[in-house]
Amino acid sequence: MIDMQLLISGVIFGLSMGSIFFLMTIGLSLCFGLMRIISLDQLLYYSIGAYITYSVSLALGDIWLGVLGGVIVGGLAALAVERVVFRRIYERDITFTMIISFGILIGGVGVIKYFWGLVPRPVPVPITAQIDILGTEIPVYRLIVIVIALLVYVGIWLFLNRTIIGKAIRAGIEDIEHVEGLGINVYRLFTITFVIAGGLSGLAGGLHAPLIMVDPNMGLEVLAFAFMVVIIGGLGSIKGTLISAFLVGQVISIGSLIYAPLAQMAPFAIMLLILLVKPTGLYGSPLLKR
Amino acid sequence: MTNNDDIITVSGLNVSYGESKVLFDVSMNVRPGQVVACVGRNGAGKTTLLKSIAGFLKPTSGAISSGTTNLIGMVAYVIAGLGIKYIPQDKKVFSDLTVRENLELGSYATKDYNWDQVTDYFPKLKQLMDHKAGYLSGGERQMLMIGRAILGSPKLLLVDEPTEGLAPSIVMHLKDVFRELSKKMALVIVEQNLPLVCAIANKVYALKEGRIMGELTDRESIRPEMCEKYL
Amino acid sequence: MNVLRWWWGLLLAFALLALLRVFLPLPFANEIIIFSIYVIGCNFLLGRVGFISFGQPAYLAVGAYGAAFYLYYFGTNAYVGILIGIAAGIIVSLAVGPLFVRLRSDYFALVNLALAVIIYYLMQKVLADITHGDNGLWFLTNLSSTPVLDISRPDQFFIFAFLVGFAVWAFYKYIDDSIFGACCLATKINEDKLRFLGYSSFNIRLLAFVIANTTTALAGAMYAVYLGFVSPEITSPARVADPVVVTILGGVGSLYGPIVGSIAYTGMKDLLSKTFGNWELIIGFLLVFIMLAGEKGIWGTLEPLLKKAFLRARATGDAADRGGSSR
Repeated sequence: MIDMQLLISGVIFGLSMGSIFFLMTIGLSLCFGLMRIISLDQLLYYSIGAYITYSVSLALGDIWLGVLGGVIVGGLAALAVERVVFRRIYERDITFTMIISFGILIGGVGVIKYFWGLVPRPVPVPITAQIDILGTEIPVYRLIVIVIALLVYVGIWLFLNRTIIGKAIRAGIEDIEHVEGLGINVYRLFTITFVIAGGLSGLAGGLHAPLIMVDPNMGLEVLAFAFMVVIIGGLGSIKGTLISAFLVGQVISIGSLIYAPLAQMAPFAIMLLILLVKPTGLYGSPLLKR
Repeated sequence: MTNNDDIITVSGLNVSYGESKVLFDVSMNVRPGQVVACVGRNGAGKTTLLKSIAGFLKPTSGAISSGTTNLIGMVAYVIAGLGIKYIPQDKKVFSDLTVRENLELGSYATKDYNWDQVTDYFPKLKQLMDHKAGYLSGGERQMLMIGRAILGSPKLLLVDEPTEGLAPSIVMHLKDVFRELSKKMALVIVEQNLPLVCAIANKVYALKEGRIMGELTDRESIRPEMCEKYL
Repeated sequence: MNVLRWWWGLLLAFALLALLRVFLPLPFANEIIIFSIYVIGCNFLLGRVGFISFGQPAYLAVGAYGAAFYLYYFGTNAYVGILIGIAAGIIVSLAVGPLFVRLRSDYFALVNLALAVIIYYLMQKVLADITHGDNGLWFLTNLSSTPVLDISRPDQFFIFAFLVGFAVWAFYKYIDDSIFGACCLATKINEDKLRFLGYSSFNIRLLAFVIANTTTALAGAMYAVYLGFVSPEITSPARVADPVVVTILGGVGSLYGPIVGSIAYTGMKDLLSKTFGNWELIIGFLLVFIMLAGEKGIWGTLEPLLKKAFLRARATGDAADRGGSSR
């Protein structure tokens, strides 16, 4: 029988981890949906976000400012990469863009090592307070992370459903050629989507930084988990990404209460099972155009 | 031959998909106010021709221009911005978006928010505004696709098999709509339905195996039997 | 005639490798050969079947641990260890293959990566009692000397690796020229047509998958025997890039690509990590550059040049011959 207090803190822990996963992978998912690219370099903007959070909070003493800086720099880095590299290769096949984005990720890790060195860096938690939920002490910071992720989800939903650019992006996820045929500058849509994705990855990194040690390989280490989340949710689906991010977070967190060594592996086993039943993930689109 | 006020001039156009060549030395032109029909069997290269004009395919050689503007090398959305709109044959609307949102996208691209011109042609769309476009029938989808394309008063519509698979009553309705539209813009219609195109076209190009086999220009000779001769 | 020509190419390549042995330190030469065996599977999957695998280290680890378990717990004969590594590779790829090869190429890449991570955690944490976790299994001193070629000694191991490498290359060359090779290429280009011809693309992919990953497992087993040591580091998430990078670096789809790529990669790694230290920076941007420059890789760029030079040499030779006979 699992202790009730452990279970509550486990659920909260899983939700906060799922929130980070969601922020990290939503960009991957959107980029796949609209541009049909698998943008592994999103994990680079995640690392950049974490490092900017570290440096800014060290210099200015405010971690939230650091997170904001992480979002901005993550978005700017994404903008630069999109302008220099991806703009030229959107029409190439998915394997090609995947290898390129992987190269950018690896190269970016090198850039990070050049600026910040190899030593892992700690980032202090901005809010150390604990709150009492059903007799269990829960760190407030984790709750804030969950709230931010949910706000981002609502924000993205509003953006996609209430703004004309968002509607154009939704239309483009269905059929990009028809959007272009109407006379809409699809390359601008691509840039906007890519920058939003990069900014959100930066946010994920910034929020994750106080919970882990910031180190150059952090992007590569979460790469497999990010993949897993988008595969379970289905590439290109925002709702699927949210559900699967929380699912994976819970499996890791609750799993580690039951038998710790299995916790990291269990989600992968679930992924294999889901793919066995539905090869495109929970909400994935079967179409493969462009 | 080439007049600068032609809406579209195509000359010596060659198009290939990878190794296989689809269009051979195609030349055609569209004058203002003309309704041009392209007829031919499946695989004759009609869709390829329209897609090349609209900028979705890159020709291997040849020239496409609109007036004095060279269209070769332009991306599709720029060509659409010049008022040359392509309506594909797949009858795919943005099914996740409502009819209203579909039209909003047409307006966003052209900055033309006057939807009365659309609902005048297709009153039926008025009641369907808040329906998801995915639930529309084939005919209603075609109406929506034409509707969102005519926003911004384009100078040329490239219409790909608009009546394929539609009920006769809707086909008649579309025929009237094309007649009305031709007063405001030029049309290029790719169609298998010869009686329909012959009723509205004032120029017919017959394509066969990627080549233009014949061109009918006077009203007297534009008859299904005449088209049939070239196919 | 054609047969003769490619045999000459292969012999020439391996003659050069043997020659390299004279100039290069032994560990370096061993590393190159094992690495190129490691990469040829990935090259085959990407070049012939159109599958990109970010999870090759998983199969490398399967082979390595297969050999390591035997050599640590049960026996001392390195040859048996390698055979067990190969068997482990076949078993694992047969187990996961039917599930994986149904997937689209993008999902395939991701799922393989996931498998590599699973195996990493499996070896590092779950099976820590048997694998000794991050400390790894050390069994160099367990190895008994083997008859004929004593592969527990690095210099003789090189000869063994050299012969195995040659056999693997000959095998892949044979596959490339066979109907099976053509079918693989067909699954990449036009799956439907292949189905109309009466071939099952599933079976072809599965076979290709098993062959490629078994080769990788063989490389893993050879690593284990050569180093006398295996740790989960072999499949760590930070190393998933290696085979893909080397495949692209060398040139996709060519048999010589993996050799050239391995030499370049191992060499660069050796030189750069000593002088520059920032390995990822170079390899990452090199990867992007090669892809953008036409994804030909080193061999793909060299091959036409060599061919031209060869043809010119022969043309002048022929001209000289003709000149001689007419006189």
